[in-house]
Amino acid sequence: MDKAMKNRKVLKAIQNKFLIYIPLTLFALLMMGPFLWLLSVSLMPGKNVFAFPPAIFPTFIDFKNYVDVWRYMDFLKYIWNTVIITFFGVVFSILLCSLTAYPLAIFKFKGKNIIFVALIATMIIPAAAGLVVNYLTINKLGLINTFTGVVLPSLVTVFNVFLFRQAFMGIPSDIRDSGKMDGASEFRIWWQLMMPMIKPAIAVVALFEFMASWNSFLWPIIVLNTDKYPLASALSTLNGQFSFNFGWIAAGTVISVLPIIIVFLLTQKYFMEGISGAIKG
Amino acid sequence: MKRKRVAKLSRFSEVQTAWLFMGPGLILLALFTFWPIIYSVPLAFTNYSVIGETSFVGFENFKRAFSDINFIASVKNSLLYMIIVPFIQILSILMAILVNRKIAGIKFFRAAFYIPVVTSMVAVSIIWGWLMSSNGVLNYILLSIGIVNEKINWLSDKDTALWALMFITLWKGLGYYMMIYLAGLQAVPTDCIEAAKIDGASNFQVIRKITIPLLKPYVFFCTLISLMSAIRVFDEVFVLTSGGPGNETLTSSLYIYQQGFEVFEFGYSSALGLIISFIIMFFSIFIFLFNKKGGVNPY
Repeated sequence: MDKAMKNRKVLKAIQNKFLIYIPLTLFALLMMGPFLWLLSVSLMPGKNVFAFPPAIFPTFIDFKNYVDVWRYMDFLKYIWNTVIITFFGVVFSILLCSLTAYPLAIFKFKGKNIIFVALIATMIIPAAAGLVVNYLTINKLGLINTFTGVVLPSLVTVFNVFLFRQAFMGIPSDIRDSGKMDGASEFRIWWQLMMPMIKPAIAVVALFEFMASWNSFLWPIIVLNTDKYPLASALSTLNGQFSFNFGWIAAGTVISVLPIIIVFLLTQKYFMEGISGAIKG
Repeated sequence: MKRKRVAKLSRFSEVQTAWLFMGPGLILLALFTFWPIIYSVPLAFTNYSVIGETSFVGFENFKRAFSDINFIASVKNSLLYMIIVPFIQILSILMAILVNRKIAGIKFFRAAFYIPVVTSMVAVSIIWGWLMSSNGVLNYILLSIGIVNEKINWLSDKDTALWALMFITLWKGLGYYMMIYLAGLQAVPTDCIEAAKIDGASNFQVIRKITIPLLKPYVFFCTLISLMSAIRVFDEVFVLTSGGPGNETLTSSLYIYQQGFEVFEFGYSSALGLIISFIIMFFSIFIFLFNKKGGVNPY
C-alpha cells in the first residue's frame, strides 16, 4: 500500500516533468522555427519560399546560394567593416563607461548629484530628433563616411554607466584602501584591482554592445557610403535590390546572423550570470 | 612627514581625479545625448532644410504638426503600439517561470528563447516578411488549422499590418524580458517558497503571493523599458512596411526620420521630435510617480 502510493507519486512526478516539456517545446518552435525555416530556404536554391505546402525541412542541400551571394556581395568586406565597428564599439564603450561610472560609485565630490540627475534625465527625455542633430554634429567634426563617426555617438550610454556604477558599488571598500596603502595611483587601482572584480558586469556590457554594434543598420546607412556598410546595412540594401531572389537573401541573412548566434552561445554562461548581477540593484 | 604629504596630496586630487575619469565619457554624452536635446529646441523654430535660406518661423512648425494628418496618424499608431506592453510582460513572466527549473535541456530552451533578441531586426524583418506574405508559411499553418479561411497579406492589409508588426516586435523582445525576469526569479529565496509549500500553499498561490510581489521591481523596470521601445519603434517598420499601406503603420519615429532624411526638413523634423519627447516624458513621469507609490526602485 505504502509502496504503491510512493510509486504513484514518482509516476506523477515523472509525468509532471514531461508535461513541462510540451509548452517548452512549443515556445522553442515559435522562437527558433523561423530561423530553421530560413536555413532550409537558403540551402535549397531554386525552391520558392512561397511554396505550398512550405518546406520546413530541406529535401536537398546545396550551397549554391551561399557561393553566389558571397561572390556578388563581397561579404568579406562587409564582415570586416562590421568587425571593426563592433570591436571599437565594444572596447571603448567598456573603457569609457566604466571610467565614467567609477567616480560616481566610489568618490565623494561636489557636483556628483548634479551629474546623477542629468544622467537620469536622459533616460526620461529620449532624443527622438537626435538623429538629425547628431548627423549635423558628425558632419561638423568631419567624420562623415568614417568608422569613428559610426561608433562615437553610441559609445557612452547612460544604461551602461549605471550598470557599471552598480557593479563598482558592490566591491568592498577595503580593496581600494589596500591599494592606496600600497601607494597605487587611482588609475592603477581602477584598472588592476577594480576592473577584475566586475567581470560579470563587463561581460553583460560587452555582449549588449556587441549585439548593438553588430546589428545596427540605420546610423551606418546615414553616415557611411555603401562600400563601408556593416553587414546589417548591406543586408537591408540587398533585400531592397533583390527582393525577388529569395535564395540569395536567405543565404545573406544566415551569413549575417550566424556569427552573433555563435558568440551568444559561447558567452551564454557569463551573460546569464552577469545579467542577474546587473539587474539586482 | 612625507607620509602626511602624500595623504594630503591624494585627498586634494580626488575631485580632480573624479573629473579626469569622467571627462571623456561626459564629453561624449554631452555631445551626442544632451546636445541633440538642447539644439533641437531652437532648430524646431526655424525652417532649416537643405534648400532655401534658414529663418526663424516662430510656432509655424508646431501649428503645421497639429494639422498634419500623417503626423497625427503616426502619433496614434505609436500610442496604439503600447498595447503590446502588457502582453510582453505576461508572456515573458510565464516563460521565465517555465525555464526557472533544473531539468535536462533547460539551458537549450533558455538559449532558444533568447536567440531572436541577439539577431538583427533587419534579418528578423526579412524572415517574418516572407512568413507573413499571402503565400507564406503563416497563412499555410492558419489555413490548415482553420483559424482563417482565406489568405491574408498580413503586412499590407490595412486592417492587420500594424498588428502584424506588433507581433514581430513582441516575438523579438520576449527573450530579453524573460531573461530579466529569470534573474528576478532566481533572486527569490527558495526557503521562502518551501516554507509556504509546507504550510500547504498551492503552486498558484506561491506564484501569486510570493513570486509576483518579489518580482515587482523587475516588472517596473521591464514595463518602463518596453514602453519606451514601443513608443520609439522604428527598425521593423522601416524595413517591413515603411509606414504603409497608406499611413496605417506610420509610427512617430519613422515620420520624424522621413521628415529629416527623406524630405530634409530638419526644422520641422526637430519640432516633431520635441512634441514626441514631451509625450514620452509625460508617460515616464506618470510611471515614476506610480512606481513611487509602490515604493520600488530599479537603481
